[in-house]
Amino acid sequence: MISRFILRRVIIAFFQLLGVSLVVFFLIRLLPADPVANLVGLNASDDAYAQAERSLGLDKSIFEQLSVFLGFSEDPGLVDASLGISWMTNEPVFLEIGRFLPVTLELVTLSLLLSFLIAIPLGMASATKPGSIADKVALIWGMFAGAQPDYWWGLLFVFVFFYVLGVAPPPMGSIDPMMSRPSVITGFLTIDSLLLGRFDVFISVLFHLMLPVVTLVFVISGAITKMVRQNMVRALSSDYILYAQACGLSKKEIGRYALRAALTPAVTLVGIFYMILLSAAVTVELVFSLSGIGQYAIRSILTFDYPAIQGVVLTVALLSLFIYLILDIIHAYLDPRVQY
Amino acid sequence: MKWLQRFALSLIAAAGFSGAAYAEDLLILTEEVPVSLNYDGATASIDTNWVGWDNILDPLVYHANGAINEDGVQLLNFNKFEGRLAESWSFDEATLTWTFNLRKGVKGCDGATFNADDVLYTFARAKSVSGAAPIGWFLANTGSVDGFTPAVFAPTDDGAAARKLGDEVKKIDDYTVQIRQSAPNQLFLKVLSIFALYIFDKETMEAHATADDPWSHNWTNNDGLAGFGPYCLNEWRKNDRFSLTANPDYYRGAAVYDRVVVKKVPQSANRVAILLSGAAQIAEHLTPKEYNTLSKAKNVSVVGVQGNENMFMILNFKSPPFDNPLVRQAIAHAVPYERIIDTSYFGEAHKWQGVVPSTYPGFHVASTQYNYDPEKSKALLAEAGYPGGAGLEAFPDSFKLTYMLERESEMGPTATILHTAFREVGINVELNPIPQAQYGDRELVKKDLPMGLTAHIKPIGVDAAYGTLLSYVSSNKGGILNSANYSSDMVDGTLYGSLAEGDNDKRNEMLAAIQEQLMKDLVVIPILEFRTHWATAASVTGVVWHPDNALRLHDLKPAK
Repeated sequence: MISRFILRRVIIAFFQLLGVSLVVFFLIRLLPADPVANLVGLNASDDAYAQAERSLGLDKSIFEQLSVFLGFSEDPGLVDASLGISWMTNEPVFLEIGRFLPVTLELVTLSLLLSFLIAIPLGMASATKPGSIADKVALIWGMFAGAQPDYWWGLLFVFVFFYVLGVAPPPMGSIDPMMSRPSVITGFLTIDSLLLGRFDVFISVLFHLMLPVVTLVFVISGAITKMVRQNMVRALSSDYILYAQACGLSKKEIGRYALRAALTPAVTLVGIFYMILLSAAVTVELVFSLSGIGQYAIRSILTFDYPAIQGVVLTVALLSLFIYLILDIIHAYLDPRVQY
Repeated sequence: MKWLQRFALSLIAAAGFSGAAYAEDLLILTEEVPVSLNYDGATASIDTNWVGWDNILDPLVYHANGAINEDGVQLLNFNKFEGRLAESWSFDEATLTWTFNLRKGVKGCDGATFNADDVLYTFARAKSVSGAAPIGWFLANTGSVDGFTPAVFAPTDDGAAARKLGDEVKKIDDYTVQIRQSAPNQLFLKVLSIFALYIFDKETMEAHATADDPWSHNWTNNDGLAGFGPYCLNEWRKNDRFSLTANPDYYRGAAVYDRVVVKKVPQSANRVAILLSGAAQIAEHLTPKEYNTLSKAKNVSVVGVQGNENMFMILNFKSPPFDNPLVRQAIAHAVPYERIIDTSYFGEAHKWQGVVPSTYPGFHVASTQYNYDPEKSKALLAEAGYPGGAGLEAFPDSFKLTYMLERESEMGPTATILHTAFREVGINVELNPIPQAQYGDRELVKKDLPMGLTAHIKPIGVDAAYGTLLSYVSSNKGGILNSANYSSDMVDGTLYGSLAEGDNDKRNEMLAAIQEQLMKDLVVIPILEFRTHWATAASVTGVVWHPDNALRLHDLKPAK
């Protein structure tokens, strides 16, 4: 049953991705600029321009370009999973994304884990003891952290913790720039450094990710705390909790039952917040000089690098579909009312 | 709070981070690291790439050192050349042939020894126009190297033959090369000193060639570069960092700094903060305001030079009413030059009195100058048929003052000042910041910007004739940029005459006549020339100004 459910979702995802590919392919060609001009720059004689246009394949008709993009030609394309060649760097887009994406996933995953570790106990304490200090902290944090954009908090944290107090590292990426990087195994610096026994790198990465993670956690945890609190309040006022109270169960036991009910919607929340954090990471990466997928996307858009833009959109769409598929499967396991 | 600080410091030590721990290393912060090391590649015009080939490759000849300016920056003597990979050279006027005697015993990073084959390879690669942007061909063409003509672009068998290097670049023996010109041209040695004719290490380049890519464009685009310069590529992570190590065999002596890491830090405010903290030694691409702030800081040194950077306004001759000379003059007299210099550049600029860099040989202060004079501007507008600006509303598209959105912090204040000043004389303009890629497209390719504000174009060939050829010669006569669609038979004819003129005095007279004409016609509205700055830790010295404004790391050394 579950395998049929997964197969159906994968088939739907394939058509969704194909649709996204076609929409992106045609939409970016409506952008009001000429990528050839951007690349040939100051020496844009007519001859040089024509030469660059030929080398990028933009002298071909739109349908020939589509065929190249999809991979139905000699050149690398979608079908062979290389996602084409970046016009800016001349590298396969797939390889570039493989280098940039782990930086973002590392940042987002660490931030989300830490956010839930903080938000769940705080939300629970806030719901079980209304008016307590925990409740007030949750309320003020939720209002305060969300009142300013994440990049603003990032810049403020850099100013305070690095520039004024000197307790944080400079915003120069995910590792000390003078340190040699470990060989690439998974692309995730934390994992690769541990696998290779490079503890100096591991500590450096944790140290350099400290402020960007704190920034994302600071911004997102307030909202998660609020949601956990609301779910808990709803669960605590439900009939079965009233019944448990009437039966004389201890507060601890009642809290455990309520938390279970409150966390079921949190599975969906994980997916939603993961995607929110992915978009928030774009500006946080900029502030902390992290070479993540957000920076890659910005650079690709500003330079009108069509293959790279297409690659980023497809990757993010694929990531999103994958996360929601996993969550649906978990949800289906947890909630017997969900039909495959 | 002290415990927190102690904990953080121990973490810093554990993480190996310490600015002082690397006495012979240099950390440079920049807005972008090289995306390509191929000077004939698609992104050759992006100046953040230049630190790569400028330090890994070396030219045949280069400018000799000149004076040292008031900031301690070493300037170059643009009228005097010295040998680099070529030890000496001679020119035979009868056959228009240059003979270069090459330096012996020069070793590249990969162990190859420099000889005549490397020079032939470099010119053959340039003539193949196999890269996305044939800059090497453009320079050879500008220097009148025989055979480097537009015929190479013909997509036929004729084109294939034209793309092969003939005897215009000839190996006499392992250490002697001859290069023949098609016509006398004073720019020849100057174009040899520009990066896109720097010499490759043939042996290593060919080791990375493939059947589909015989000129190793893919390798230089993505993985490496081989030459005989002072530095070797150590690590290259695009969009992140770029690391070089000193070539121990460099023929002018190994560089002082063993390792140089160029790190991308996109936010200029962060580059400033990191430099101030002492964690980095050089910060590049800052705004005038940030340089001004840093110049007052301790342990940081801001040095500058009046180089070749400038700001000007494009008024397109094909966009009415800018085809009316009186309207052009009215706008030129409405520009508050001194206010812009004081407000936008904190005094670190001066009014531009010409249309090519004033530091270049052949520059001439034209007798026609346009100063801030609102009353004269109003009078000229009235004479043009637009009293008080009435009637100009018929050209709404022409009065959009367009500039690069990405350079808002630098251009925005000036655009705002112009907006206010123009309104005072009756000219209403709309500020129109647009993305850099779109601006470049309209300015350089479509040439359809009616009114543009530009501060990014600098001719890196150090000669008034090169600047004129690049920016003001008619497109159908070999002009490259000419964003204002200007055309003058006098300028076109005299310029090509000046290139062939061997008498320096006569040549300067011709260049002066061209600049008189360009200023009289107001080919662009020259606003100001601003200083090029470098912000370094006080412990670093030795900055030399090179016309492409990129640092040559071999020049740098610790302060005494």
